[in-house]
Amino acid sequence: MTTKTKETIFFVALGVPTVICLLAFFWVLYLLSSGIGTLNWTLLTTSALKGGIFEMIVGTIYLLLGAAGVAGPIGVLAAVYLVEYAPSGRITRIIDQAINNLAGVPSIVIGLFGYTFFSRQLGLGVSLAAGWLTLSLMMLPIVIRGTEEALKMVPPSFKEAALALGTTKWRAISATSIPAAAPGIVTSVILGIARVAGETAAILFTSCVLITRGLPKSPFEPVMALAYNLFVQIVALGEPAQRVFGTALVLFLIVASFAIVAIILRTYYRRRQPWLR
Amino acid sequence: MRIKEQPIEAVLFLCASFSIIILLLMLLFVAREGALALSKFGANFIIGQIWDTNANLYGAFPLIYSSLMVALGALTIAIPLGLGTSIFIAEILPFSLRDPIKAIIELLASIPSVIYGFIGIIFLAPLIASVFGLFSGATALTASIVLAIMSVPTIVGVSGEIISAVPKDYKEASFALGATKWQTIRNVVLPISKSGMLAGVMLGFGRAVGETVAVLMVAGNVARIPMPFYNVLAPVYPITSVIAMQMGEAAVGSLEYSALFGLGLILFIFTFIVNTLADVVVRRERKTGGAKK
Amino acid sequence: MAKVDIKELNVWFKENHVLKDVSLAIKEHAVTAVMGPSGCGKTTLIRAINRMNEIIGGSRTSGAVYLDGKNVYDEDTNVYELRRKVGMVFQKPNPFPKSIFENVAFGPKIHKIANGKKLDEIVEESLRGGALWDEVKDRLNDSAFSLSGGQQQRLCIARALAVEPEVILMDEPCSALDPAATAKIEALIRELSEKYTVIIVTHNLQQAARVSDFTAFMYMGKLVEYGDTTSVFENPKSELTEKYITGKFG
Repeated sequence: MTTKTKETIFFVALGVPTVICLLAFFWVLYLLSSGIGTLNWTLLTTSALKGGIFEMIVGTIYLLLGAAGVAGPIGVLAAVYLVEYAPSGRITRIIDQAINNLAGVPSIVIGLFGYTFFSRQLGLGVSLAAGWLTLSLMMLPIVIRGTEEALKMVPPSFKEAALALGTTKWRAISATSIPAAAPGIVTSVILGIARVAGETAAILFTSCVLITRGLPKSPFEPVMALAYNLFVQIVALGEPAQRVFGTALVLFLIVASFAIVAIILRTYYRRRQPWLR
Repeated sequence: MRIKEQPIEAVLFLCASFSIIILLLMLLFVAREGALALSKFGANFIIGQIWDTNANLYGAFPLIYSSLMVALGALTIAIPLGLGTSIFIAEILPFSLRDPIKAIIELLASIPSVIYGFIGIIFLAPLIASVFGLFSGATALTASIVLAIMSVPTIVGVSGEIISAVPKDYKEASFALGATKWQTIRNVVLPISKSGMLAGVMLGFGRAVGETVAVLMVAGNVARIPMPFYNVLAPVYPITSVIAMQMGEAAVGSLEYSALFGLGLILFIFTFIVNTLADVVVRRERKTGGAKK
Repeated sequence: MAKVDIKELNVWFKENHVLKDVSLAIKEHAVTAVMGPSGCGKTTLIRAINRMNEIIGGSRTSGAVYLDGKNVYDEDTNVYELRRKVGMVFQKPNPFPKSIFENVAFGPKIHKIANGKKLDEIVEESLRGGALWDEVKDRLNDSAFSLSGGQQQRLCIARALAVEPEVILMDEPCSALDPAATAKIEALIRELSEKYTVIIVTHNLQQAARVSDFTAFMYMGKLVEYGDTTSVFENPKSELTEKYITGKFG
């Protein structure tokens, strides 16, 4: 067997898994799209009390924005510490490992913790607020890692120029490094949102109920969410396929839009920042 | 002005330590709630083979077995698939196609697990039932397949990164000696990537064990060790599913409630160990700087 | 007949016309130096001989490179065999992250030249050829990174020798090394030219003068002058060459 033939066999052999993966993806898309028929504006804007999914969509958005509001600032500040201030040594390594460990905690365990700590210990009950805090735990590692990377790509000369003019370290960083890293930070927050948007297990006991009377009027009320509802519809209620398909499709579209926006932002800013590679 | 720096650094440090604080709180609170069940059953909680809520008996062995079985099955499918795909993308695909295909795979990764579970229930389970002539398609195999589809994007992403990280100097040297692409990948790229891959597999395993919703919908949810032990066509009940299914009905403070938290503790410790080991593997690789015998 | 005969070679990288109509006949069993300022195309030139330009995407080549009378760009050329015959040593030493033995044995194993005992012999012979045997014979299983920079480069030379090449291409092999290591390698290069045809790219004029039999001077992708080293340095035909040699630019 000539080397050329061997190479071709090799190419083909590796092409097979790739094709399988792509096929799987298109299969999933195709299956989902069969739900398109059930989607119409009425469904999206009608209250769940009347068979629509309005509150679920808004509830999901409420949850995501709040979680981002918590995880965003904490995550960015944590990353700033790790990249700009942390001395290399034991404690920094432990913090680093803790972030990896937090990222690896199963979502159901986060849900359990959220329930016993945020809902019960802190008295938040089954509420939007408890959901924010619980979901933020899942977003945190993503935001931290993404911000770290973004900060590391900023040329140190920006910061040094500011320092050379006599500003304090924090001033220099907040005036130069953070703004320069902003696109990367925004992207990682969006990625975090995408990751958490479809999350069910974490909000299972901490913030969601099957049906509410209208939208929550305060963060201390429970909320309806797409993923949660979809889950319950399928597992517990055996809902008619139509409505389930519609809900699944809306959830998928929301998550996909966030993911696509993040990917586009990342490519766009990579081209616009001339100092990147 | 210098005085102002310290509080700022303290705040930043606090934010960074957040992860540690949360992990500690998690351990504390989950263990606290699980203490009742753990102290009542002791080691039997883990090796006991009967999990019966009605009889208030909580032996988690069938659940642990189910989690491991489903996860292993999923990885067996996902790793060859994912590794092959990532090698293909990194080494064979022309540059122009690389980014679009990577984007597609990233999109696959962001599909919520509940949707995968949904597809599993509506399409995969009946398929498995008819192919194997079963009454119900909710089996360990079904759960493994769904989990595998979910894991592939992660594996492609991680291994793709590792393969791209191999310095091109080595590949150039190999080509200059007359090696083919396959020979270069097999003899230079892959050996260098070994520890990164190992860490990736471990992380993938941790994630597979921790997946809740998708497996819940298709695993069958029967707390019994399959007969025979390798029978993937039997229904199984992974730990995550148990917690998700039974938390809703467990009265706060009851034995059942505590048992579920005990399961949570087992999960927490398991993924903690897996993640720490993966970190160790990566760190050790970095120290030796890739210089191997 | 020249060992390597380059005829009207043009190379483009995307829109960049890097080599312009270069024609050059390399003599066998001699050391030919290719010199010129940064960006003149000298690296691209030698990489065209073993078709390593193709590894980087976006390259286009026209013209011919004859090795022993056969054009390496022919349809039916086995590029892997070509790269066995034409070895390459890079600017920055790049031994594999494996043992010293494994590095040298890599080539013969890939080309299925030898196994077992014969392999051991080839490794020893190649290490001797790279003037490294005495220094490493007792620690063949040590990592290649336990060697100094100069030793690593000689290891890379030995690695290239192990597949029994006929031509050896060297891309500024000493630029990452200290003077002592450089001297050792320059002596080695002169030795190698007895058995092999050596083409060395260098931006170091003195090195070119010390080490080579023939010198080619390139500027902006074109071959400006080519002849035996003594003539080129003492009696350059082109004014450009003279300016370069006397340090007026580059």
